[in-house]
Amino acid sequence: MTLLIGAFTIGLILSLLALGVFVSFRIFNFADITTDGSITLGASIAAVLLVQGVSPLVATLAGGCGGVAAGAATGILHTRFRINGLLAGILVMTALYSINLHVMGKSNVPLMAATTVASQAEATATRALGGAAVLPVFGWEVGARDAGVLVLAFVVTAAVGVLLYLFFRTNLGTAMRATGNNAQMIRALGVNVGNMIVLGLALANGLIALAGALLAQYQGFADVQMGIGMVVWGLASVIIGEALVGTTQFGLVITGAIMGSVLFRLLVAIALRAGLNPNDLKLITAAFVFVALVLPDMLARLRRRPAADRGA
Amino acid sequence: MLTVHGIRKTFFAGTPNEVRALQGVDLRIEPGSFVVVIGTNGSGKSTLLNAVAGTFAVDAGTIRIGEHDVTGWPEHRRARLIGRVFQNPFSGTAPDMTIAENLALAARRGQRRGLGWAVRGSAADAMRDRVRPLGLGLEDRLDNPIGTLSGGQRQALTLLMATWLEPALLLLDEHTAALDPKSADQVIRLTDEVVVRDRLTTLMVTHSMAQAANLGDRLIMMYGGRIIHDFSGAEKRRLRVDDLLARFEEVRRSEQLDESAAELLRRVYV
Repeated sequence: MTLLIGAFTIGLILSLLALGVFVSFRIFNFADITTDGSITLGASIAAVLLVQGVSPLVATLAGGCGGVAAGAATGILHTRFRINGLLAGILVMTALYSINLHVMGKSNVPLMAATTVASQAEATATRALGGAAVLPVFGWEVGARDAGVLVLAFVVTAAVGVLLYLFFRTNLGTAMRATGNNAQMIRALGVNVGNMIVLGLALANGLIALAGALLAQYQGFADVQMGIGMVVWGLASVIIGEALVGTTQFGLVITGAIMGSVLFRLLVAIALRAGLNPNDLKLITAAFVFVALVLPDMLARLRRRPAADRGA
Repeated sequence: MLTVHGIRKTFFAGTPNEVRALQGVDLRIEPGSFVVVIGTNGSGKSTLLNAVAGTFAVDAGTIRIGEHDVTGWPEHRRARLIGRVFQNPFSGTAPDMTIAENLALAARRGQRRGLGWAVRGSAADAMRDRVRPLGLGLEDRLDNPIGTLSGGQRQALTLLMATWLEPALLLLDEHTAALDPKSADQVIRLTDEVVVRDRLTTLMVTHSMAQAANLGDRLIMMYGGRIIHDFSGAEKRRLRVDDLLARFEEVRRSEQLDESAAELLRRVYV
């Protein structure tokens, strides 16, 4: 049960990562590798502030702001200096590795002793349970910390998802979606496409860094290596989410990305429990994304071919 | 309303692929005038339109719209003054967004876009009232993604979007060339209606001699990056398709003459 709850919680926290990747990859069609650096940046900033005794809410938001800056940097490299999008992301990601080490001052910052959103959630949950350390759920015993963090992760994710959905229905948000959908059209309607891309990448990486800040507090440490492969993780979540909701209508896709992230984390937890070597995890994730990206096209081609044969 | 003075544009300058697309074009269009531009392939007619729209910066010359000198303005800034319809019917609309969202984007052409709702429930009636005259039945499908519509329907909507806020200048770049004849007729009818109704200053590039003869109050013929004929007033009204074809034949013959003359010279001197 603890395993299941842990998977759920991490899945919900990382759904912020999935939402960020959804913004950059699906809305702007921009494969943004800044992700790997900005999730760590969010964690580093939050961890360092928490160790200094800054309030967890402020530390978490500060982590998110770090991601906003990182995303804006990638956007500016891409739009103002006309560097290929993939390369712009790689440059910022590489630079962030050093920056993250500088922020933390070392490669790993433990948060066991610090007051974090996780410890606050635990305290709140304990108080809500009338002082009990465990909560019986369907015969299982759930720790107050696990329950508290799960509820917190759910609330944060739901709030961010709703805000994102509402944002993309505003004038600015629709202009952003149109930028990714048809840049020529939106330019002819008076929108500075470069600014939209910078803003969009800032938003995406802000969400991703927020995920990093929360993840560090949940797992109890920030580590300079924690971002490796995270963009692929986010892609996998978005793709699973799209398969789950089976539509491109963006309100549902946002919900799908959250569900995809949770489901993916559950699948990983089950696979690891069943004896999968953790070293193979990233290989399998990459292979999964590869298959998910090419499969729809291949299936469509297979379906077309018999029809063409009949025609001939 | 539009004043183009001495604009020049060379693409791929200094390479074997150098194209002198515009070689000193002067043009002055009065407010409310509907100008049709024709010319052979490579005559520079679309390049002229794109130069005015700001797709690229011109090498020389100035472009003024109304009291604004827009020569140095980027494309998105000029959009405040210009409504555009492209040749490709898929270029003017965002396919994954609904009809209502596309119209809402057009309703803020050139304006600040903040955090107000893009599509307000209260605006739906106004939208339906403006979509209904298109005669396509789209007023009941405002929540459908535009990508599900045909090219003709999308082009009609693009025209509506370009003129949603009255533009100082309307640019139409062979906007019916990629449509089937029936849709093309429909879009041309809508074009004529809106241009005449709102007295829009319009610059329309076309391949169709029939459109060139029947539409507009002025006709410009381009060749080799220059304006070679300019008909307006009674002269424009008298022009028939046959006259235009005759002018094209003239151009073609002079082109052949040039080539054979060049060939003759080559034989003599090389």
